[in-house]
Amino acid sequence: MNDAAPARVSAAPPAAWRRIDLFAIAVRFQSVIGLILVAIGGIIFSPRRHGLILFLAPDNMANIVRAVSETGIIAVGMTFVIITAGIDLSVGALLSLSSVLTATIMTTAGWGLIPTILFVVACGAAFGAVQGLISTRFRLEPFIVTLAGLQVARGLALVISGNQYINISYGEGPGLAPPVFAILGDRLFNNIVPVATLVFVVVAAIATFVLNFTRFGRYVFAVGGNERAARLSGVPVTAVKISVYAITGLVSAIAGIVHAGQFNFGSANDGTGYELTAIAAVVIGGTSLFGGAGSMVGTVAGAVMLGALANVLQLNNINAALQLLATGAIIVLAAVLQSLVRRREGLGR
Amino acid sequence: MSAPAETAAPLLAMEGVVKRFGGVQALRGVDFDLRRGEIHALLGENGAGKSTLMNILSGVIEPDAGEMRIDGAAVRFGDPRAAQAAGVATIFQELDLVPSLDVTANLFLGRELTRAGVLDRAAMRRAARSRLEAVGVEIDVDQPVAELSVGRRQIVAIVKALTYASRILVMDEPTAALTAAEVDRLFAVMRDIAARGVGIVYISHRLEEVPRVADRVTVLRDGQVAGIASARAPQSELVRLLVGRPLNELYPRRSGAFGRRVLHLEGARYRPKRARAGWQAPDGVSLEVRAGEIVGLAGIMGAGRTELLTALYGAAGPGRWSGVVEIDGAPARLASIRNARAEGLGFVTDDRRGGGLMLRDSVRRNLVMSVLRKVSPLFLMSRAREDDLARKAIRSFDVRPALPEIPVGALSGGNQQKVVLGKEVLGGPRLLLLDEPTRGVDVGAKGEIYARIRELAGQGLGVLIASSEMPELLGLCDRVVVLRGGRTVAEFPGGADEHEVLAAAETGPDDDHE
Repeated sequence: MNDAAPARVSAAPPAAWRRIDLFAIAVRFQSVIGLILVAIGGIIFSPRRHGLILFLAPDNMANIVRAVSETGIIAVGMTFVIITAGIDLSVGALLSLSSVLTATIMTTAGWGLIPTILFVVACGAAFGAVQGLISTRFRLEPFIVTLAGLQVARGLALVISGNQYINISYGEGPGLAPPVFAILGDRLFNNIVPVATLVFVVVAAIATFVLNFTRFGRYVFAVGGNERAARLSGVPVTAVKISVYAITGLVSAIAGIVHAGQFNFGSANDGTGYELTAIAAVVIGGTSLFGGAGSMVGTVAGAVMLGALANVLQLNNINAALQLLATGAIIVLAAVLQSLVRRREGLGR
Repeated sequence: MSAPAETAAPLLAMEGVVKRFGGVQALRGVDFDLRRGEIHALLGENGAGKSTLMNILSGVIEPDAGEMRIDGAAVRFGDPRAAQAAGVATIFQELDLVPSLDVTANLFLGRELTRAGVLDRAAMRRAARSRLEAVGVEIDVDQPVAELSVGRRQIVAIVKALTYASRILVMDEPTAALTAAEVDRLFAVMRDIAARGVGIVYISHRLEEVPRVADRVTVLRDGQVAGIASARAPQSELVRLLVGRPLNELYPRRSGAFGRRVLHLEGARYRPKRARAGWQAPDGVSLEVRAGEIVGLAGIMGAGRTELLTALYGAAGPGRWSGVVEIDGAPARLASIRNARAEGLGFVTDDRRGGGLMLRDSVRRNLVMSVLRKVSPLFLMSRAREDDLARKAIRSFDVRPALPEIPVGALSGGNQQKVVLGKEVLGGPRLLLLDEPTRGVDVGAKGEIYARIRELAGQGLGVLIASSEMPELLGLCDRVVVLRGGRTVAEFPGGADEHEVLAAAETGPDDDHE
């Protein structure tokens, strides 16, 4: 792995670039291909009832995309951070804190829907921005800062909730939340498309646009690709870094609101391990932990693929331990493929 | 040539070595031989096959065809360990030392001496000391390698290599980061080792070093041997072998027509907020750069050349300028990179890979990085304008291959440097600050880069170049300003005598600047 030799050997051939490197392209869309493979496997191995393929049943499909919506939303934000060669471990705890905040504000403070959402989202973004600020100002590893952030967010959630589930009841009057909020647990369009999934789709679409078509998106790649070069080129590196953590904070808050809406409560103990699921989705999606390269489409496909895989294994009554093994194997495979491509391109690492 | 040892087989003989990578023929039947006690320079431009050949010798890769004999016995190395066992040691540019460990620990890394399973520190320190003494260098064996100068690290790496392989030593550009004094010491050590019968293969870009240390030269070009010569062959002959044609005009013609004063420094001082060890702040710099003029900054290592450029560019961390600092006749605020860019400054760092490029990103995306505001005046990126700018830069700098979408890391060093330059020029600067603009660039590409710099000057840019290669400064620049201890101490016209400039850089009187 840290054998620098292959890089020095391949003085990359100019002529080879004219050929289209199918392998590299396949790896670039590895999570999309992986998702397709999982889906095919799901169809083939799916249990059938009355000739109906259960995997393809609308209810099952809806379940898959609903189950991945929260971690998917977070993974979308995480993609920005990881492209800058950072990491954010606080997202799961921040989701939990946000769900607690949402439930508490709606049931005890009696705020309306919009003010509540705006407030919680602003809190999430601020929390992330502060982590980014601390990390850049004191030159601390984001790993450390967000590990601390995880503890703080979890602690705040416990304090605010008193370690109780904050149940949300709907209706008019004091202590009741606006009924429209319950829509987050519903499905639309003939009871097929979960609203949580719609939120995921919207967040992912906006993020894809920002990453690929705005100047800010390009700054994110530049900071991760070569921070010093970016700085010397006049890129506002510090501001970009703070922004990406504000983004993960913001999406974690959105995920927390979705969580509260789906389950009708806020809890200080939910969202545990979501940060790892989100990182896994990003890595499977082909974004490099070294920074500078990545794909939002890949992340989305990676998140859905992990959910689909879990679903296929559940349908076939394969136990949870095996699911973990399968996920682990896929993460390693994804990383190995990325590394092979880098080596072929003669770029080392 | 007919040495007495000629009767015996050479220490190393490689014959008809062929290696192909995918569709590229890296080596097309290369012969190479090395005698006992010889220092044999291996020259070639980037991509000529030097590294491939040496990687085969050191067992990193296997050849497709060809023979390799050591002391007349055929050998074939499947991995680096086999090569080491046969006595071949390789010192790559990235030294295989662990900076946080001390010298002793590094020398014995992976081969620690033990007594009853416990590290025998005393024995290792004794052995380390005697080995370093044997090459005539005093280095504290208890010092962490991180605290040693690059030159001393180089020597530690050599001594380490000799502990496990003692017959053939391969050195890949060992002088790239050394000061003149360190180079002298390194060469002395190399000659000493060679005198004991070790054969040394010495890979370098610096032609002028060849006659100083080597006995013979093999020049590779396009995967073939272009020629074998005595190290005392004239430099022009070596250049002809390297690039395949006589290099009449490495440096473009000077124009001599200058415009307004773009940069004017008079007693300029830069006081960093926090003092840093080894950082020579500009401390009394007086110079000017006119539009259309190329001014060189000469000086020994530590004279403050890089520091002056980075401080002008606002990239030297928090600090304050004092004295006269004027751009285009108006006092300039150069407190941050943003300020400096707004004043029309462009900067190319000496550390291309570390501070110039996003190696894995495409040529296009690297080129437009410093002009993103132009490409995207509001916040949306315009792909059309991006393609347009990138194509323009690729054309005007003749980046090869001329493909905007390939990763910039896949280009040769010279072409990477063209991309870095193109990136800065796209920003439309008035004054270009270039730090070692041809470091790690082969001779042919150097000529192209010089021509382009001259062309830019001709378009009315002022150019300030820092370089440790004196011939480059004197050949390219209209004037050369000498720095010592952060001060300007002398000034020479382009084409001045190299020795006079060197003398001023090293010991000249302090009060002779204009």
